[in-house]
Amino acid sequence: MDILGSFALLLALIVAAYAFFAGIAGIITRRALLKKSALNAGMAVFFLVTIAVAVLEFFFFTNNYSLAYVAEHSNRALPAFYKFAALWAGQEGSLLWWSWLLSAYAFCVLFLNRKKHPELMPYVGVVIAGVQIFFLTLNNFVANAFNVLAAPAASGAMNVVALSDGRGLTPLLQYPEMVIHPPMLYLGYTGFTIPFAFALAALLGRYPGEKWIHITRRWTMIAWMFQTIGIILGAHWAYNMLGWGGYWEWDPVENASLLPWITATAFLHSVMMQEKRGMMKIWNVWLVFTTFMLCILGTLLTRSGAVNSVHAFAQSSIGGWFVSFLAIILVVCLLAYWKNKDYLRSDNQLDSMISRESSFLFNNLILLAACFAVLWGTLFPVISEWVQGTKVSVGAAFFDSVNVPIALFLLFLTGVGPLLAWRKTSTDALKRNFAWPAGIGLVAGAVAFTLGFRDFYALMCLMLGVFVVLTILLEFFRGARVIASRESTNMLTAVGSLTMRNTRRYGGYIVHLGMVMVFIGIAGQAFNKDVRAELKIGQSLRIGPYTILCQNFDQPGNDNYQSQRATLEVLRNGKSEMMLFPERRFFPASGETETIVANRSTPLWDLYVVYAGQSPQDGNPVIQAHLNPLVKWIWFGGIVVVIGTLLALLPNRRASIVLAPVREKAWDGTIVEAATHKVAAVSTRGAGDD
Amino acid sequence: MTRRTALILGALLAAIAFLPSGAFAQQLTPEQAARAKALSLKVKCMCGGCNDPAGACYHSGGTFSGPCDMALSEIKLVDEKVAKGESDDQILKDFVAQYGPTVLVDPPKKGFDLAAWVMPVLLPLIALVLVWEIARRWRHKHPLAAAAGSASQIPPEIIARVQCDIEKDEP
Repeated sequence: MDILGSFALLLALIVAAYAFFAGIAGIITRRALLKKSALNAGMAVFFLVTIAVAVLEFFFFTNNYSLAYVAEHSNRALPAFYKFAALWAGQEGSLLWWSWLLSAYAFCVLFLNRKKHPELMPYVGVVIAGVQIFFLTLNNFVANAFNVLAAPAASGAMNVVALSDGRGLTPLLQYPEMVIHPPMLYLGYTGFTIPFAFALAALLGRYPGEKWIHITRRWTMIAWMFQTIGIILGAHWAYNMLGWGGYWEWDPVENASLLPWITATAFLHSVMMQEKRGMMKIWNVWLVFTTFMLCILGTLLTRSGAVNSVHAFAQSSIGGWFVSFLAIILVVCLLAYWKNKDYLRSDNQLDSMISRESSFLFNNLILLAACFAVLWGTLFPVISEWVQGTKVSVGAAFFDSVNVPIALFLLFLTGVGPLLAWRKTSTDALKRNFAWPAGIGLVAGAVAFTLGFRDFYALMCLMLGVFVVLTILLEFFRGARVIASRESTNMLTAVGSLTMRNTRRYGGYIVHLGMVMVFIGIAGQAFNKDVRAELKIGQSLRIGPYTILCQNFDQPGNDNYQSQRATLEVLRNGKSEMMLFPERRFFPASGETETIVANRSTPLWDLYVVYAGQSPQDGNPVIQAHLNPLVKWIWFGGIVVVIGTLLALLPNRRASIVLAPVREKAWDGTIVEAATHKVAAVSTRGAGDD
Repeated sequence: MTRRTALILGALLAAIAFLPSGAFAQQLTPEQAARAKALSLKVKCMCGGCNDPAGACYHSGGTFSGPCDMALSEIKLVDEKVAKGESDDQILKDFVAQYGPTVLVDPPKKGFDLAAWVMPVLLPLIALVLVWEIARRWRHKHPLAAAAGSASQIPPEIIARVQCDIEKDEP
């Protein structure tokens, strides 16, 4: 059976190579049949990699421990749910998973566009096949998941052997979110290959018009959404599994996932400049290239062991391959740009510094500054070692001190940017749009200050958050009021109708709303409290308004793990409020221990309790309690961001009536423009808008 | 030994026996304790099994989720040095001398390591100047086209001709 998996992978590599070379030959010779054959080959790769993945999963589910990878990452007692997730628990499987997702994306793109863009798609197919060749080479020759276990027989010949049981899945991955988090993150990483392929294809083929940028934007949004889900789920997993009370540690693996997300965010904003004004074409192409290269760089950093990471489950000597691939991508991008730079000539023209265009310029600058700060901090230990011969550490304090001011400025632009008009915004319009939100934001800050909140950054975040939310709500209110009066509907229906008529613009606002929630949640950590105490049965500790009383310790378990569990009663004002059961699970197969946090989460705060184990000094049980304000806002914010992105991906709904021009003096340039968009939405179904 | 002396000695021994562990460690004033806590968060736990600061060592995945022996010894060393009246700089220097610069949670703000702190500020500032300059050029690139944006009635060929005339007139 393992032969079938190996064979399918080898065949996938050969077919991908055919798609690559036949595609190039088809483009050069202009033979349509060859181009079509290459695209079909690109689609066939998906089926072949699917066979390989299915074979590997078959080994996991049938407890066949003749494959080294299966024996290393699974065991008989492992629940079936996690046997599926064990596929990406190690280097070989995660790279195979990467190849499968990439081939699935490729299949979707090639199939959906098989009868469209006949001049562009052969180039797209070649670029995707090029990337697939790299990953399939790794799957076949560098990190093969189908390596069998062998032992010498009496004759000296090597025989295939099967272990009776495996070493089990690392306990840190035995958590429901780990079945969803890695696929989401990988869907983000692999998904950025598609915009990269379209951008490079358009540049290489000098594809006329702006159609390719619309396609690129849409695929970037899809990959960006998955990356967002992956990052948020990763933070949620770290919060609930690692037991240190936080969700983001600025670990290199976390940073690696953030870098392409930041540049993709920058692209999703600056692409509007190209669509609306024909500006920043070079910038946009390079943002797409950079996003893809950062995906590869992040993978290189976290799999090569170049930087220390707590996520070191997949480190090996594979780094050289990624360095070479990164170098090839960079050279190809530079050559493609150099040869075709006249194709990207923009009509750069800025009418005013107070305009939507300039806000996008600064938005991109700030996002790139954040990206550089994260990259610099992640790489600095390596750079320092090269220069000085000694490795320094770069911890959370560095990242916080550099990134928090940047993030707050970005939050400010989130409120300002969308309300500035294209071309030019008058001072009167500025006052009218921003006076109330800014005033109420300041009042909110003053109230918080008088209530005793003194943390500067948290106060700034609160004020800016209120400001941004109000600017967004005002936008919805103004648009909905027009629709409500024209269609004689209530405001709620009008808001729905408004959103569906311009999904991109209002979906974008919802994304911004979600980001504000995330920011508010992060600001809450300025007020975290924690207490650590040895707690015997009958003893208690206090944290905030809660008293935690230790009721019992027991040791439940099953075939997979043995547990030590504390039973804690939480009292507030002398009244019993809830019971919490923090645990520590020991997994005999791997010999590792896992923390199961007991977390009572409310929108106001999380009461987060960890059973730390028995003190090494005196053997007494130790309980660590945290009171973390507003953490739930981060998870809710993430959900809102995803909803907004999904909305923005929907085509606009055709309006049933044509809106009359918005009336007279009360509306400034911004609003007039919004009305114009609404009229445009009537006539152009599915046309994108901001 | 009188009965009274024996009672006092017994009480003292019992008190010592029930003292919490670490009670014989150097007693710190509240200010010193706060300083020691802050310093313990500036040095990494050097056990090799985690990346946590010594003062916040949790050892996720270990047999005990709390400060390991290594972190405890570092915390104790910090307490002793603070009690002796050593300065923050001196204490951190001693740690660097013992474990190398990697013991510091963040890069020191001197020598080459200063670049870690300066670059994330300097580079965006340079980029800001560049963006400003680019935006300024874009503003002056097509003054007439900009004006036409609001009127939008003037045919582009006329704008181009007038633009050409203006450029000819410029010195």
